[in-house]
Parts: sequence; C-alpha cells; structure tokens
Amino acid sequence: MIDMINGLISTIMNNPVNIPLLYVVYEFLLKIPVLGGIVAFLLDFSLLGYPIVRIIIGFILWKPIFILLLVPGFATLGTMLLVLPWLERKLVGRMQWRVGPREIAPRTRGSIQLLADSLRFLCQEVIIPKDAHKFYFLQFPFLYFLPVLLPLLFINPGAAGTPLVPLESPYALQIMIGLISFMPVFIMGVGWSSNNRFAFIGTVREAFMYFAYEIPFIISILAMIVLYGTSDTAEVISLANQSSWWNWGIVLNPLAALVFFIATVMATARLPFEIPEADQELAFGPFIEYSGIAFGLAYVMAYEKLYVLAAIMTMLFLGGGSGPVIPYLGDLSYLIWFVVKTLVLLLVLVNLRGVYPRYRLDQALNIGWGALLIFALVAVVWSLVLGGVL
Amino acid sequence: MKKVGTPDYTVSDKLKTHAAALGTAAKEMILPLNITTHYPRERKRQPDCFRGIMLFDPERCISCFQCSFVCPANAIWMKEAPSGRYYPTLDHGKCIYCHFCVDTCPGGALRTTKIHDVAFKTMEEMFTTTEEMVEPPTIIREDETVVDYVIDKEDLSLKRTKEVDELIPDVPESKGVPMVSVCVDRGSCIACKICDQICESGAVSSVKDEAAMTVKMSIDAEKCTGCGLCVKECSMQILRLVRK
Repeated sequence: MIDMINGLISTIMNNPVNIPLLYVVYEFLLKIPVLGGIVAFLLDFSLLGYPIVRIIIGFILWKPIFILLLVPGFATLGTMLLVLPWLERKLVGRMQWRVGPREIAPRTRGSIQLLADSLRFLCQEVIIPKDAHKFYFLQFPFLYFLPVLLPLLFINPGAAGTPLVPLESPYALQIMIGLISFMPVFIMGVGWSSNNRFAFIGTVREAFMYFAYEIPFIISILAMIVLYGTSDTAEVISLANQSSWWNWGIVLNPLAALVFFIATVMATARLPFEIPEADQELAFGPFIEYSGIAFGLAYVMAYEKLYVLAAIMTMLFLGGGSGPVIPYLGDLSYLIWFVVKTLVLLLVLVNLRGVYPRYRLDQALNIGWGALLIFALVAVVWSLVLGGVL
Repeated sequence: MKKVGTPDYTVSDKLKTHAAALGTAAKEMILPLNITTHYPRERKRQPDCFRGIMLFDPERCISCFQCSFVCPANAIWMKEAPSGRYYPTLDHGKCIYCHFCVDTCPGGALRTTKIHDVAFKTMEEMFTTTEEMVEPPTIIREDETVVDYVIDKEDLSLKRTKEVDELIPDVPESKGVPMVSVCVDRGSCIACKICDQICESGAVSSVKDEAAMTVKMSIDAEKCTGCGLCVKECSMQILRLVRK
C-alpha cells in the first residue's frame, strides 16, 4: 500500500511541465523577508511524513493534469466560454456599425457582460413543460459535457519533439471523431424530450445537417491520417512541425482544411448554417423550452463544441503549439501559441455571422452532400499522392 | 412573361464575392464606421425647428381656438380658466407632434422645443393642463457631448463636440399672420349679434338705423385680432378671415 502511494507520488513528481519561469519566481519569493518565510514553511510542511503542499503543487504541475485542467483544458475552455460570446458580440457589432455590449462595466467595454448574463440565468426559474420528458429534459444538457470534454484528453498542444498530450493512444483521432459524432445525439435528445413542435422541427433539421456534414468531416480527418500515416496525436504534431510552417496541414492539404472548416461551421450550427437553431423562425430550435440555468447550459453547448473542434483544427492543420519560443516559459510557450491560434480560429468562426445570411436547409444539404463531399474525397486522393511523393 | 430566376454566377464570381464580403467584414472589424449616438451621455444636435414638446405663453394667447380646430389628432381641448378665457390643454397620448398648432397660432403663443425624451407614468399624467404647458418639463441631463452628423460625399461620419446643447431654442417670436374678419355678404346679415357677443376685443359694433328699421353690424379692422371666433360662430356663415 505504502509502496503504491510512494510509486504514485514519484510518478507525479517526476513528470512536471517544464516552466523555468516558475523556479525564477520561487527563488524571488524566498528572498522577500516575511513572504519568503511563509513560502519556505509551507513547502516544508509535512503530514504523515509526506510534504503535502509540494505534492499538491506537483500534482497540478503534473503534465497530464496541467494540460487537462489548465491549458488548454477545462480552465481555458471556461475562460473561452466567458470571453468568446463577448468578443463575438463586440466584433460583429463593429462589423454592423453597432456598439455591442457596453452598459455593464462601461470602462472595460462591457467585458463582464457574460458574467451578468449567467447571473441572470442562475436567478431565473427553470420551467419544465408539462409535456416534456422530465428526466431526459434535465439530463441532456449536463450529459453533453461528456463528449465535449473527453476529446480534450487527446489534444496535443505541443510542438515537434515535445508532445504535451495527456493520453497517448494510437487511435486518438478515431476516438475524438467518435466522441464528436456523438454530440448531435444529445441535441436530438434535447429536442425530443422537449416535446415541442419548434423543438421537433429543429431536431429534424439537426438530424439532416448531421449526415450532411459528418461524412465530409470524417473523410477530411481521414485525409490527414493518410497524409501523416498515423492517428496518434503526439506523432501528428511531430510530423507536422518537422521543419517549419510549410509542413503544416493547411499548406500540405488546404482542401481538407477547407472541408474541416466548413464542416465545423455546420456542426456547431453557426451562421451561415444556423439551420437547426434558426432564431427568427424556430426561436433556438431544440432548446426552445429551456429557461434559467438549463438554458445557460444549452447556450454554451455550441461554444464548447466550437472550442473542441477549433482545437482539433489547430492541432491538425495549424501546427499545434509551434511558434517562436518565448524565453523562460518552456512548455508554456507552446501552450500559449496553441491557445492564441485556437482563439484566432474561433474568432474567424464566430464572426462569420456578421458576414453571411443563413442558407436554406436544401441549400445546406446540397453543399454538404455535393461540394463538401467531393472536396473531401479529392483531399484524400491528394493525400495519397502527396504521401507517395514525400 | 418574364421569369425571375437565380442569377448565373461562375465559380470565380462566387469566390470574388466571398472575398469581397470577408474583406469588408475584416475592414469594418478593425476600423468600424460607427454611427451610434450613446444617447443619455451624448445628444444628437437637432435643428431649432425640431418638433418636440410644445410650450405655451398665456400672455400671447387670444383664445381663438385655432389650435384646437386645426389639431388632426384632436389632442388639444380648450378649457375655461378662472379668468373666463379659454386656454389650450394638450393630451400627449393623442398628440402626433405635427406642430400644426404652433404654425397656425396667430398670436405666437405656442412655441417649439427640442425636448423629445419625456416619460409619463400614467395615462392621466399625459393629459397636460395649461399650467403644465407654461413651464418646460424637468429632464435629467446626463449628456456632455453634442453629436453632429456630417455627410461628406458618400460616407456619414460623426463630429463630437464637448458642449451641452440648449434644448429650448432661442428662435425669434412668431408674429403670426395678421388676419382680419370681414363680412362678405352684408345683405344676408340677420343681425343676430352673435359676433358681437363672442368678440373678446370689442371690434364688432352695431349701428341701429331707426328709419329703415335695420341694424347694421360693422367690424373695426384696427381692433380685430383676427382670432376668427366670429367666423366660426356666424349663423349665416358670411364672415371670412382675410389677410390684413
């Protein structure tokens, strides 16, 4: 038992993220008169013979936990959920000659608008319609976190030579595709359990769209698997960044990147493919019956999916965390580049709503089953050709 | 018959339009052409003739009822004051701010202001009495900046100046159009003396001709204020308002 605990602790302590800046900060803290003493005491404080504070810090800095919990995992996802809708409103407002949110904290340009919104959602009553299937109605928005958060296990924000992936698996990309394909099932469940005619129409549209984008989406990832010859995310990143940016997926196979991008827009039901939700005619489609905190959860569902898909796109097509190395940050440098690339991609994705109107369902299906599918197949052929040449 | 179909675009046309749309969006995102006025903190500069809340000056009112007659929304009702004269009251629930009353007032008793942001708590409050029309309504000013809309060639831009706009403009007082009441058909006059009774300025007088057994009414053009009350009330409809 004790051997097991000791083995676990040594596993945790021997695999931390490499951030030289932390040691500089630590040494600086020790030099400060009173604070240094407190820090030294806390770090030496031991319980049952274990330096408990050191173990906790070591656990947080343990590579898989740091990546999964902080960057680019749950903490970054949560921050994005708070920042992204505000940035979207602000930038789309600028495009359309409006101002966007402003009245809450005007000095910070309304940046805490989302906090105010979530406070409102929290205080609002959750109304469960009489005809709704109560059990599934309340369950699905929470269950949706499962397929959204699990792909984060396989996302590799590192660069060539330094894989920073929480869970290495030779089938990482396939597992991620499986989990992402699982997401619309929950949206359909939400629409079905609402038992509302608008929710029903939205659900049927979602099902139509699901098949239209899912096949080109999977084929475009298949093209990248063929190109790299592996589906292990750690190796994909290493291969993609062997020399420099001209080895990125978007340069090697731009067609697959385009298909992935459009499929992402379709999958997250954002304009111009906002067909299942269609505010003007279906009033948020499958989520029409939700109110209060349940609506808040339903509202961020699309943003969660958007974040995961943008992170996968950054990993596959934009070279993951590669970029100019920032001194003293070590591994954090890659993570920062990864998050910056993802954020830029997310901004492009969300700001499409300021440019395009909505397609009709038949037009969107035409795009999905027509151009997108053909492009995806051409991308696979191109990958095969390129793989033969290289 | 001509059928309207979807326009024929080639692939290069579509790519060009997509690129143009995205380029415009990117340009506006970085350098937006914003035309929003941040209203409570800023105010758009309105022209002096802006049709806002009306103010009333009882000194200049000749109780002619013209504002009440001309009102298309029937928002102005004349109410009798303790002095016996009739003054206008205004129902803001009905008023459409056409300002026909201001234009038609012969004495220039009604005047226009730039106040347009007025709230009433109840429907009863919207019915403003004459006393409430004399003083401008209290408004809480938060604005420090005045915004001018400048149109140069095609683009519209905003010019902001740090000043507080005066909401009650200092326009020259309306002189009105001097009118006078004239009898157009003396032969039809039945000498009912309604005009004499209704005239407030004492311009109408009657001369009794004993020999012919007739009474002749006459209107003194100097005294007549041109209020038109006699024109409205004349039982034979033979009085007209003409320019002095």
